[in-house]
Amino acid sequence: MNSKKLLTFTLSASVLGAVFILYYSFNPSDHSFFLSCPFKYATGYSCPGCGSQRAIHQLAHGNLGSAFGFNPLMVLSIPLVLYGLGTKAWNYLYSTDYRVKLFYSNFFIYTYFIIVLLFWILRNLPIGTFNHLSPSN
Amino acid sequence: METDINLTSKPPDNNLVWAIVSTVLCCWPLGVVSIIKSAKVNTLWAQGDYEGAQKSADDAKKWAIYSGIGAAVFSVIIIIAIVLGIASNEF
Repeated sequence: MNSKKLLTFTLSASVLGAVFILYYSFNPSDHSFFLSCPFKYATGYSCPGCGSQRAIHQLAHGNLGSAFGFNPLMVLSIPLVLYGLGTKAWNYLYSTDYRVKLFYSNFFIYTYFIIVLLFWILRNLPIGTFNHLSPSN
Repeated sequence: METDINLTSKPPDNNLVWAIVSTVLCCWPLGVVSIIKSAKVNTLWAQGDYEGAQKSADDAKKWAIYSGIGAAVFSVIIIIAIVLGIASNEF
């Protein structure tokens, strides 16, 4: 591990930490300085990532249920993302080449892709059953 | 680099984690393109197309970055519009 890598890692971790504190401290539902999603802004429809900012605020406060209400896909993806990024960071720091096995299964990737598309469509349908997938509910 | 690619038994890093991040944590639907590019890495590698696999891995990363840049550019435009008073920011 050289000092340049350690510095890059420390800086990245600090930025992530700062972002976490920002989302912990302020609820995007109450503060207008959080920006809305571009797709939502342009079309009025929700994208698969809509609600993630509000969900992260809820997650940071341990409210798993309301986080799930804003964006269930994001909440379910968080463990994968943390594991994936953690592996990347480890590989970077120690010059290793560990892989997340799941990410190299095409079955997993295509299943995830189909879930994203279905989630995207369903959360925009004005049908009662799917209303809870919409970030505003 | 070319010989390195052919000597390793592992496919190139498919950058799926960035594809997922740009899909669910970012705010731009370009992430879905990145997911498909990641899947192609495995397929091409299995077919013995090492260069194609590497290119797909690079593309997956590229689309995730586009997604981030798109979001950043949009944010700046919206901030300017809000400052100028021609747009409001509502969820």
